Amino acid sequence: MIEALAGFAAVLGLVFLRMPIAFAMGLVGMVGYMHLNSYRGAISMVGRLIIDTTQNYGLSVVPLFILMGLFVNKGGLSHELYRASHAFLGHFRGGLAMATICACAGFSAICGSSLATAATMSKVAMPQMRRFGYDDSLSTASIAAGGTLGILIPPSVILVIYGLLTETSIGKLFIAGIVPGLLGVLCYLAAVRFTVARRPAAGPAGDRTSWAGRGRALRDVWAVLLLFFLVIGGLYGVFDVWPLNLAFSPTEAAGMGAMGAFLVALARGTLTVRDTFEVLRETAFTTASLFTVLIGAWIFSNFVNLAGLPEGLRALVTDHAVSRETVMLLILLVYIVLGCVFESLSMLLLTVPIFFPLVIGLGYDPVWFGIIVVVVTEISLITPPVGLNVFVLRGVVPDVSTGTVFRGVTPFWIADIFRLALLVMVPWLALALPRSM
Amino acid sequence: MNRLVRFARVAARAPVLLAVTALFLMMVLTFFDVVLRSTVNTPIEAATELTRILMAITVFSALPVVSGRAGHITVDILDWAFARAAARWRDVVINLLTGAMLWWPAERVTVLAERARSYGDVTEYLGIPQFYIAWFIAAFTFATAIVLILRGVLLAFAPDLVRPADD
Repeated sequence: MIEALAGFAAVLGLVFLRMPIAFAMGLVGMVGYMHLNSYRGAISMVGRLIIDTTQNYGLSVVPLFILMGLFVNKGGLSHELYRASHAFLGHFRGGLAMATICACAGFSAICGSSLATAATMSKVAMPQMRRFGYDDSLSTASIAAGGTLGILIPPSVILVIYGLLTETSIGKLFIAGIVPGLLGVLCYLAAVRFTVARRPAAGPAGDRTSWAGRGRALRDVWAVLLLFFLVIGGLYGVFDVWPLNLAFSPTEAAGMGAMGAFLVALARGTLTVRDTFEVLRETAFTTASLFTVLIGAWIFSNFVNLAGLPEGLRALVTDHAVSRETVMLLILLVYIVLGCVFESLSMLLLTVPIFFPLVIGLGYDPVWFGIIVVVVTEISLITPPVGLNVFVLRGVVPDVSTGTVFRGVTPFWIADIFRLALLVMVPWLALALPRSM
Repeated sequence: MNRLVRFARVAARAPVLLAVTALFLMMVLTFFDVVLRSTVNTPIEAATELTRILMAITVFSALPVVSGRAGHITVDILDWAFARAAARWRDVVINLLTGAMLWWPAERVTVLAERARSYGDVTEYLGIPQFYIAWFIAAFTFATAIVLILRGVLLAFAPDLVRPADD
């Protein structure tokens, strides 16, 4: 166990020296494995992992879901999503901020990345909120918080990575993310209401849209809704009835979604050959870096297991007669603290190989733990000082100070903690849907 | 030196094109596999193994380019602690180290490829020799190692020629 802890410290050291996280985990894992086993054993393990990982059929969900999100983005659907939610919510006090949250949720239903969601929606929603005289802190906070929904509402790249690292069903994880995601939307809407109740000037009401206008706005987003229904419905088995008898594996759902998004963008005439190339290139780059990271995390995880860390931690828990609830509480605290300094994917990769065996050993559900980890990660995206979504926003609206954003984010952060507590105390919220699959 | 960098940028286009094509094919293939299976009940038998091969091509042809552009996921919270010069030498060491460490796995993959060739391993439906894929992976892992080492050397001796990190 001492070797594993030393290895963990070495990874942290290398990562802080700006070694890419994939190589840091791979190097330490390889050297550690060599130390415990043998040179031949370590190098064989690494060689096999490299060959097998890249040829793992299940892993093709990663590039296909990324493709889907980028194609939808190029299709200009983010504007229409915002317009549709604006039509329904714009006349409330704080309505534009609420519309932002809902549009983020809609965009998350296609896109699996929080940073992409925040970056996209800030370009769409920020100018509108400024036009209606919204307070900068409320507008930016609603985008930063709404953006975090990207990694919980399926499809989600982070959930895919968690599923791959822990061999948990990706389909079940996606379905499990739906209710907590919607719960997140409700909590954020409450946070907006709370903000405007305290400071009415922060979010003045806009004009009411007629029902005809609302119908028109909805007509523009049917493609997104259809795509979501096709992908997530297919995963859940909605089409698994006569005469279709069609149930999608995650890879198939991703393939249908990517091609569907490509065809939608093509049909709208917004997609050029150059755009298509750009989207594919960006996806290939992201895939390559995610795969490197996965291979590195697997090497490290093999080392940590060989070093007996899971057993060591479990013995520690039984020796001190700590209840499993206390252990979970401690793990959550570790995540919240780490979330202050680490970016979400790095945090997931570093912690899951260590905590997962312990948590499962204590009898927790792997799908539920995945959702909890993602919700905590979401919180880290808006926690100072590193909250990455806040920095993405600063890139798009450079004239708003980081302090202003963080001030606005506080009610959303509290809403997130409330949701986390709820999900921990009532696991049924996350598990009811996947169990009915 | 300048010519070397320009050459690298032009040379990077070929693997990018390869990755992009493989990815596009993968998307189209998965789509038609599902559509054909559900409508006329005839899935593309070889879809799974083709997807596997296309995945390997996408990931490994993009890898040297991503590494050359410093596109890997890093943690930058301690960046403030390094002065400019210190940061440069830190990156020199990190690039050289990562490049060097990739050499062993790349060699190991070569050995595994040769073993697959001697056993005559082929894929299930199309009978494509397995060692082609393993060789491809090995070659591009070596290329990645070389790119990282070159990046380290350039950072040490001609830092102006190195494009800043993507982020």
